[in-house]
Amino acid sequence: MSTIAPEFRLSRFIASLTDIIFWVLLIFSLVGLPLVFILLFYIKLPIVNGQLLTPYLAMTWMADPSRTIPIIKSLIHTEFFRIIAFPGFGFAALLAAATIFVERKFLAKIQLRVGPLYCGKIEGILQLMGDGLKLISKEIIIPAKADKPIFWVAPLLFVGTAAAFASLIPVAPGWVVSNPNVGLLVVFATIGFFPIIVVLSSWSANSKWTFIGGIRALHQMISFEIPLILSLLGIVILTGTLNLTEIVESQQHYWWIVFMPIGAIVFFITILAELERIPFDLPEAESEIVAGWLTEFSGMMYGLIQLGTYLKLYAFAGLFTVLFLGGWNGPMVWPPFPQEIITNGITIGPITAHIPGLPLFDQDMLNGTLWFVIKTVGVILVILLPRGVFPRIRIDLLLYTGWYKLIGLAFINIFIALGLLYAGVLGHGGLIQ
Amino acid sequence: MANGAQHMVDSIFLAVSVLTIGSAIAALEIRSLIYGSIALMITLSGIAGFFLLLDAPFVAMFQLSVYVGSIAVLILFTVMLVRRELIFNKIEDSRRRYAGIGLMIIIMLGIGTIIIGSGLKTMETNTQTIDYRKIGEDFLTYYSPALIVMALILSSSVIGALALAKREDVTNEQRTD
Repeated sequence: MSTIAPEFRLSRFIASLTDIIFWVLLIFSLVGLPLVFILLFYIKLPIVNGQLLTPYLAMTWMADPSRTIPIIKSLIHTEFFRIIAFPGFGFAALLAAATIFVERKFLAKIQLRVGPLYCGKIEGILQLMGDGLKLISKEIIIPAKADKPIFWVAPLLFVGTAAAFASLIPVAPGWVVSNPNVGLLVVFATIGFFPIIVVLSSWSANSKWTFIGGIRALHQMISFEIPLILSLLGIVILTGTLNLTEIVESQQHYWWIVFMPIGAIVFFITILAELERIPFDLPEAESEIVAGWLTEFSGMMYGLIQLGTYLKLYAFAGLFTVLFLGGWNGPMVWPPFPQEIITNGITIGPITAHIPGLPLFDQDMLNGTLWFVIKTVGVILVILLPRGVFPRIRIDLLLYTGWYKLIGLAFINIFIALGLLYAGVLGHGGLIQ
Repeated sequence: MANGAQHMVDSIFLAVSVLTIGSAIAALEIRSLIYGSIALMITLSGIAGFFLLLDAPFVAMFQLSVYVGSIAVLILFTVMLVRRELIFNKIEDSRRRYAGIGLMIIIMLGIGTIIIGSGLKTMETNTQTIDYRKIGEDFLTYYSPALIVMALILSSSVIGALALAKREDVTNEQRTD
């Protein structure tokens, strides 16, 4: 079946692997170990708890769970972990990568196709890894007469801006990378950077397809930013705050989508346009202008743009959840951590292991994360859904929709919010608290 | 501890100042219009950085979303669509440049003496940060006439722009249904 490497033999592959392992071990024991010992000879090792911290002792501690779990727990509460792993880049990138695969299978099922099937044997679950390896191993081609500095830096800026956007989303109580007092305004300011990056990268590639796509993206993003901002003002009026965490906390009893369905619909349509998804995928209309502003990107540069696009998708879906669907609020379904493990330790046969520092995460955080992920994944699926059924709309209809209908609906939403506020139903001192 | 934080703020202030002024000079001096507008964007972002240092994140974020997100994009867009050979003819004149630099120094010295003499030194620097809610309250109560005048000016300018942009001689042949 495979035609990529017809001469492939598994035995030879394993032989080459063992060969590499042999040489690595040999070189390490002949060169690496003596170097380590020479270094250890000169380094003054500290004395911890009356014991000299030899490498053997350090390794023993690393293998002992009762000593490592407090270290891991203190690591989890550092700023570094937040930025790199949990509510920050790692978590967002994981969800984004899962979205790429789910989108392909999901659309295929909608359109009665099979989608990725061969890679990984079971329903093509390794397709994403295969695509990633392909993108990494591909050559990066810079077009002749391209403006090289801007062309090189554009994918990085795109991923960086998308990650900055994702870092503003509160995932669980207290679990957010950056929690500025004017969070919603920071979101608007961050969204404003995307058109600049798109139009600069499209101009720098020196190709007419990218430039047409970039100009379309600019029109689309700029004109849909206004209804996006206006559709969220109702929530700001009712909650009286711009902080995203406080907005989530204001939705403990009811979600804002109950009172402001029009705002939610307008915001959802603007999300589709800002993300350049069908039916608003004019900037990368593959049947008209090759791939729009992505045309000249190849290899990992395209991979970075793709990662940034899906990070942006996650961030927008998370923002929708935070603003309209109550964020992490939900019934407590996560089971509490078993108390006897904390007090008595784990008993396996004759051995009883006392592990201090457990549990790693408290129940509120896990429950909040669960509800946030469930809601966000739901929103992501609804964002993916139009791609299976809708055609692309014309650009004049797009601009007409954005400037007339959506802005009008957004103002209606603001008036509804003001009415609820002045009628004394919601807001400070209202009937429903 | 407070002293250390003060030094931190000072170094950030210096870095932002160098970035802002350097990119402003670059925006004027770079021959490529695209790079010039990118430098202008950095200048405007640097001003947002000053607002952040002044504990005014509200103003800083509006600076970013309005000046960088809209006005700089507009400039960039316009620059991309023109061919600069057609609209500019270079006048290289060193005397003009020196005269400009001299004029700038004179103006800055003048403004500087006015600012220093204006009692700025007696200003409280360790006051509480003003919340944006307080700004909103003040706008709707004490400064409400000013707010109404601003709203009227802005809406009249929007209506004027629409009236200017609406051309009678171009018929729209595209269907809008």
